[in-house]
Amino acid sequence: MKKLNILLISVLLSLISAAQEKFTIRGYVTMTESGEELIGATVAVKSLGTGVSANVYGFYSLTLPKGTYEVSYSFIGYTDKVKTVELSYNQKIDMELSESVYEINEVVIEAEGAEQNVKSIEMSVNKIDAKDIKKIPALLGEADVIKSVLLLPGVSTVGEGSTGFNVRGGGIDQNLVLLDEAPVYNSSHLFGFFSVFNPDAVKNVKLLKGGIAPEYGGRLSSILDVRMKEGNSKKFTGTGGLGVIFSRLALEGPINNKTSFIVAGRRSYADVLAKPFLNEDLRGSKFYFYDLTAKINHRINENNRIFLSGYFGRDVFGSGFVFNWGNATATARWNHIFNEKLFMNVTTFYSDYDYSFGLEDSDPDDDFKWSSSIVSGSIKPDFTYYLNNKNTIKFGGQIIYYDFKPAEASFASNGQISSLSLPGKYGNESGFYAQNEQKIGARLSVLYGARVSHFRYEGDREQEYFEGEAGLRKVLKSETLNESTFHQVNIWGWIPSYRNYKSETNYTNFEPRLAINYSLNETSSLKGSFNRMTQYLHLISNTVASTPVDLWLPTTNNIKPQIADQVAVGYFKNFKQNKYETSLEVYYKDFQNQIDYIDNADIFFNTQLEGDLLTGDGRAYGLELYVKKNQGKLTGWISYTISKTERQVNGINRDEWYPTRFDRAHNLSVVSSYELTDKWNFSANFVYSSGTPATFPTNRYEIQGVVLPHNDKDARNNYRIPDYHRLDISATLTPKKNKDRKFNGEWVFSVYNVYNRRNPFSIFFEQDDAEPRVTNAVRFSVIGNFVPAVSYNFNF
Amino acid sequence: MRYILFAVFVALTFSSCEDIIELDLDNGKNQLVVDGFLNNESSIQTIRLTSSAPYFSNVATPSENFASVRLIGPNNLTYNFISNGNGNYEYNPNTLGAIDSIGFNYKLEIDYKGSAYTSTSLLNPVPVIDSMPYAFEPAGFGTEEGYYAQFYARDFGGRKDFYWIKPFRNGKPVYDDPTFMILSEDATFGGEAGDGLVFIEPLRAIITDQDNPFVLGDTSSVELHSLNSSAYQFLDQLVNSSGNDGLFAVPLSNIRSNIFDAAGNPQDEVLGLFSLSAISKFEVIIQ
Repeated sequence: MKKLNILLISVLLSLISAAQEKFTIRGYVTMTESGEELIGATVAVKSLGTGVSANVYGFYSLTLPKGTYEVSYSFIGYTDKVKTVELSYNQKIDMELSESVYEINEVVIEAEGAEQNVKSIEMSVNKIDAKDIKKIPALLGEADVIKSVLLLPGVSTVGEGSTGFNVRGGGIDQNLVLLDEAPVYNSSHLFGFFSVFNPDAVKNVKLLKGGIAPEYGGRLSSILDVRMKEGNSKKFTGTGGLGVIFSRLALEGPINNKTSFIVAGRRSYADVLAKPFLNEDLRGSKFYFYDLTAKINHRINENNRIFLSGYFGRDVFGSGFVFNWGNATATARWNHIFNEKLFMNVTTFYSDYDYSFGLEDSDPDDDFKWSSSIVSGSIKPDFTYYLNNKNTIKFGGQIIYYDFKPAEASFASNGQISSLSLPGKYGNESGFYAQNEQKIGARLSVLYGARVSHFRYEGDREQEYFEGEAGLRKVLKSETLNESTFHQVNIWGWIPSYRNYKSETNYTNFEPRLAINYSLNETSSLKGSFNRMTQYLHLISNTVASTPVDLWLPTTNNIKPQIADQVAVGYFKNFKQNKYETSLEVYYKDFQNQIDYIDNADIFFNTQLEGDLLTGDGRAYGLELYVKKNQGKLTGWISYTISKTERQVNGINRDEWYPTRFDRAHNLSVVSSYELTDKWNFSANFVYSSGTPATFPTNRYEIQGVVLPHNDKDARNNYRIPDYHRLDISATLTPKKNKDRKFNGEWVFSVYNVYNRRNPFSIFFEQDDAEPRVTNAVRFSVIGNFVPAVSYNFNF
Repeated sequence: MRYILFAVFVALTFSSCEDIIELDLDNGKNQLVVDGFLNNESSIQTIRLTSSAPYFSNVATPSENFASVRLIGPNNLTYNFISNGNGNYEYNPNTLGAIDSIGFNYKLEIDYKGSAYTSTSLLNPVPVIDSMPYAFEPAGFGTEEGYYAQFYARDFGGRKDFYWIKPFRNGKPVYDDPTFMILSEDATFGGEAGDGLVFIEPLRAIITDQDNPFVLGDTSSVELHSLNSSAYQFLDQLVNSSGNDGLFAVPLSNIRSNIFDAAGNPQDEVLGLFSLSAISKFEVIIQ
């Protein structure tokens, strides 16, 4: 206790210590070429051994005692700049950094910048630049954000071509995928082969897997923070490409000296190309997808800036029976600098995911239409207070309104129309947080804080309670209002609802977060973290890969909030003047209230869906190794993960622990890019991962001539399908540039799955067509051969 | 739903492939299997008892001939099912009458190797089939030229019903694949929107095989079998578990039997299903 008191007092003292006269420098760090902000750029004073990182808007603030300093500005891949500052008053210094060229790197040694991974308090974080994403050989030559994320340590997937990704044992719904701070509920085009993010409009991507700061909340396993470019503020430019799948065009530029914009669009044209080759049967079929991303930002004055950004994309597939799905998001943000120490950002967003399907060109007497949606809107103020060079305080909050329309269907049969909707569900999620990042002495920095989150479920009909045996369909017991829930004194009652509702359920969770960085020397550090995360949204999906028609549902009186606690420790070390970054991390994660499904659950149109859900626990642990080479002609990374992910759900696998469908013991990625000459650049990546678990039968029996599989131990995921491995290569040809020419083009030649391996996605069992008593095991490969592609990219 | 999605997916997939592979599987214990589908007709009623076998045994599963099988009807009337030595246990309705008490919960009793098993099954009513219009149609969007028949029937309103639709062509099933069972919830595929409707158009039309429509002189007939909830759940899972492949497969899981122990509690010794149906029929000759 005494120790604790001393610690508290020293913390307080360090917070209020202001013996010397101090001044603050602040400003933005941007790229020279385009005026884009450099997120996470380092601003440091070497003589004091102190520094800060620019925030996601490129803003920094550094408070120092009066004096003269050499302030260095650095960022990976950019040439450092050092500015001498005579600090006797508060100053605003905006700094522009230029992209460094590899040739220069060979002789000039970069001083800082790349040390971020050792020095920052962040752990379990991976960042990828849009530039790097474009270098990775991709399926059909289409650079893809999500497919790049799959190459990072701790990330796995159920298989090729599936939607989303799994982080450290979490389901795909446990990733908060943010596009300019608006959540994207389905990040896939074409069932998961491509993602919705247009690489021409993306600035950078950051994946947070652990040590997640209190400013983030709402999902258990990761935050994928995708930031769009602001748009070139210096000159009008364009980028684009013609590929096998998409054609792309992005335009950006200044509108005036205070405003810039970017607009980027893509459309698949497989349908256009394929049309002449299709036989009559398929000529009427539709299959295309497109997206449009746009952003505008305006500097009102030195202290105020606004950003408006949006995304709209659709997938349309079918013939006769047509599916149509997509996301729409809109974000408005306002950056305000109160003074040199207090920075504020207020974000409001709208995000919608919906799908519909039905008969095309149908007779109104015999028709079928179906639609479902999740709509959310939010306001989120965040404050950063740069107290002094030892303490950076952040606090803020968020309120999100959700409107779930699980299903609205209408049938017409023989002229009689019947329509039915599943009752609407509404949610109100709020969170408040405070955190401080504190430097204690020369070696230790600590980030501590907490988030308090709350969810109010608002139902369109009275609360339902189910009862029954674990593993079986539960039956509706009562449909009465739970008086105690309804009348309980609720301090969150002040958050208004925008609608009337019949029932409510409230949950409040306290989420402590802690991260520690202990610097061993200039090039290495030890880091540790703990975080508790709570999730109030659930993606209801019982298929191997998630489908576009899977439902998002809120926490209710029956579905409890998901909770995960994670502990991670890591060792971070850089070699050769930061040419090589390495890290080793281990983690353990404990999950509560994980959703699973009864056998033959009806999740699609079920008024009593909650009776088909099971809940259980989960655990995941693993070790991740990461080596990254940032500079030179050869760049890239190697990531290796050894891990285990399990669930325990009463009613499944005789109530014993079983591995999840995305559990892969070993997971290796080698990503490399080699710049041979100005003209040629080569890239290759290799991935290897252990086979995923699958459930195989032991016995057969016959019912009505059908041979049925049976597992006499009622096991789940009792076998492994064979390992997955694949090599992809690409070569980029940039023809000799005509220096006077504004227009530059490049050709990208790529081969996916070079050695033509039939990687299994799954093994399933079926009766032989010719001989019904013979049963076969069938290996299903999503991509069963090598896939060559050529694309042409240009910029002007 | 996932099948439709998968079909779309396959239609545009560039290179997915399926290969039959060799696989070593553990052999589990062999269990008694009840294949008991009875109906309200006056034809011979059969319950088939077999044993499960190793998954890749690839021959007919062994029959079980030494059980005692009986059905208890209204007023405790007992219908004995007599083994004919090849796994089939038969009852001839000419003796005690057809099993046709609509709304009655019949009870099946099986004694096997010293243990007693029971199951109950509710006999649900079945709507009449009003008509079966047919018409000649030229080849169209994914369809062949020929005669297309539909059946018209209206689901009972105000109650949950389940049906198994069995189409025939000249007395033989229209679809060869035994796993291609056409099941409906009320007049549609699922949910509650189909209550009291005429069977929806895709179900009405499914009695004609689009790849091989009827020709002049064919007899097109359809049987509508009522099911109860537990039989529907079983068959629905059976249909789902065959063809459960690709990206959108669900985990393979055992199908829960509706055969219980003597006290009526769930057991895991005996597999299979006991089901009772009422049948309505209609047939037309294409001319």
